[in-house]
Amino acid sequence: MVMNTLTLTNRKHGFRAIRQGEPEWSHEQRRRAWESYHDAPNPDRITHLWRYTKPEHFLISNPGEAMLRDVPSRTGSTGIDTTLSSGYSAHGISRADLSVGIAVADEYSRAGLYVSDLHSAAADHRYPVQEHLGKLVGEPFGKFESANLALWNAGFFVFVPDNTVVREPIYLSHQPLDEVLLSRSLVVIGRNSEVTIIDDYGSDVARPCPLANSVMEIFTGDSSRLRYISLSRFNETTPSIFTQRIRADRNSHVLSVFGSFGGSVTKVNAGAVLAGPGAESLMYGLAFGDGRQHLDHHTLHHHVSGETHSDLHVKVVLKDNSDSAYTGLIRIEEKADNSQAYQENRNLLLNEGTRAESVPELEILTDQVSCTHGATVGPIDPEMVFYLKSRGYSNDEATRTVVTGFVEPTIRLLPDDLQDMFRGLVRRKLEGK
Amino acid sequence: MHDSDLLFSMRDVHVEVEGKEVVKGVSLDIRRGEKHAIMGPNGSGKSSLANALAGHPAYSITSGTALIAGRDLLQMDATERSLAGLFLAFQYPLAIPGVTVANFLRAAVKARSNGDESVIKDFRKTIKANFKLLEIDDSFATRYLNEGFSGGEKKRLEILQMLMLKPLVAILDETDSGLDIDALKVVSKGINYSASSDNSILLVTHYQRILDYVRPNYVHVMMDGRFVRSGGPELALQLESEGYDRIREETAAKVEV
Repeated sequence: MVMNTLTLTNRKHGFRAIRQGEPEWSHEQRRRAWESYHDAPNPDRITHLWRYTKPEHFLISNPGEAMLRDVPSRTGSTGIDTTLSSGYSAHGISRADLSVGIAVADEYSRAGLYVSDLHSAAADHRYPVQEHLGKLVGEPFGKFESANLALWNAGFFVFVPDNTVVREPIYLSHQPLDEVLLSRSLVVIGRNSEVTIIDDYGSDVARPCPLANSVMEIFTGDSSRLRYISLSRFNETTPSIFTQRIRADRNSHVLSVFGSFGGSVTKVNAGAVLAGPGAESLMYGLAFGDGRQHLDHHTLHHHVSGETHSDLHVKVVLKDNSDSAYTGLIRIEEKADNSQAYQENRNLLLNEGTRAESVPELEILTDQVSCTHGATVGPIDPEMVFYLKSRGYSNDEATRTVVTGFVEPTIRLLPDDLQDMFRGLVRRKLEGK
Repeated sequence: MHDSDLLFSMRDVHVEVEGKEVVKGVSLDIRRGEKHAIMGPNGSGKSSLANALAGHPAYSITSGTALIAGRDLLQMDATERSLAGLFLAFQYPLAIPGVTVANFLRAAVKARSNGDESVIKDFRKTIKANFKLLEIDDSFATRYLNEGFSGGEKKRLEILQMLMLKPLVAILDETDSGLDIDALKVVSKGINYSASSDNSILLVTHYQRILDYVRPNYVHVMMDGRFVRSGGPELALQLESEGYDRIREETAAKVEV
């Protein structure tokens, strides 16, 4: 692991002037975030979110240079040829060099589904970008989220109108290049609508990238249904920090899944805010570390409204010399009576030299709730391996079977059409590819 | 030259668990088509012997020899022993979450198919027939192995595995324990169905009860890590009426003389 040895003594640059085609509100938002980024001290290692990972991994070595590449010099971005594969409603590609490719199925274009790069959307008055961007993950979040808000140079905007059912998934691909990826995306879903989004960071052929700092904000309308899947598949040399928040409004149903497979140092902060009565959030996570990977996951289920329900399962598998920290917070506000929250984290260690920590955290400010949590950390059970070997499995097959068995119950909670993708990702990791 | 009817043969086998000797030199020959029973009180070393023969890493065979169909068992790891035709039905079968009964067995059957496609092709049919024989509901195929199964269901699943894997030498470790009489009959039916003139069965049991249904040709009484008495089926009946204490006394007396 290459340690970034930068400190915060970077000279403070003034923020750049507004560019042609850049909306004034966006420029102002960036400028304020830039100030916050500079003024904020490095996160305190005693603060629980930073207890397990050095903030220095995520410092941008040359923020002044990043600033020069945050907005296209002219409106309109470089196009990437994008074809829509069958089985998807839309396909987006976004790169840190501001190039973008978008394809949306005609059927859904006509129905009002809008998918674009965030730059174009921010400049387009027809879409509610200004009232949402940075509202869930903005400056108060912390130094690195401020950096992202000031300097984002890639990412998507997705708008699903009211009463629109998008059956096939939208596939969003964030492709790192050789420069810092500062990706910010925003999804706004209307009332009574349904959508599935696969948010893929890195890819099968992920190029090494010095740093990836990504943010996803999602707003769901009343009675909407969202399925959101984020995948971290960065190159093994890439440190990445990803902050994701979903706001679930009244009677909305959210299923979110994160899969962490790639990267050198991977820090994920995934959360759902249950903002209206009847809102439900199911969050599932699968993380698989190998080599010298360091994984740091934090989840939040924030019950702001009563009559809400959350369920969370996170499974972590570690091999070689990888390590993982998981902190999971359930916060139930004072007025959020009749909330239910469940949280479970299980860690499987495949060999000595791996290490996992699991820290459940409950902040419950009312009595009228039901809340349970559980955590386990343990090595692969030699009795299970023996049982399988006694039936003719080789040692490797037995180990693979125990690991796939460990993650399978979580995979089975996913929608049918996404299960095989996750099985494939786990298998590739097990086979060391 | 190797006697091809001799499926299993061990000589002076000693077993250690956590540095303690629990089997202190046992010898046994089992021929094709034979059923043997090892009986003994709790703690006599029966299960340790069974686990050690299957290659459990916690049990080490410190001396002696053991052959399966003429091949040196002790040179093999657990996988190789299984593929060579040894099978152990566990006393306490483990749950393997996330692995369905059907997938678990398909891989195990495939491992010994030697590339014979028909075995895999017939898999579904075979497992269904065996479910029926053992009165197991078809829904068990997609359940996770032993997870949430009752004691009786687990034991049936062990016998199901034996029927699917068709071992040469099956060691059944207290398969009868914890079964009610109906379940015992079903499990016994499975064992008898699997037994043929080509394979052999070694029953390890505390009680005589299962021997009413699965009739052994030979009975060996094990105490304190040794076989103290061997005989025909009548020995089991004698044990049932007199208890282990009588044999213990006789054995102790013999040692004194």
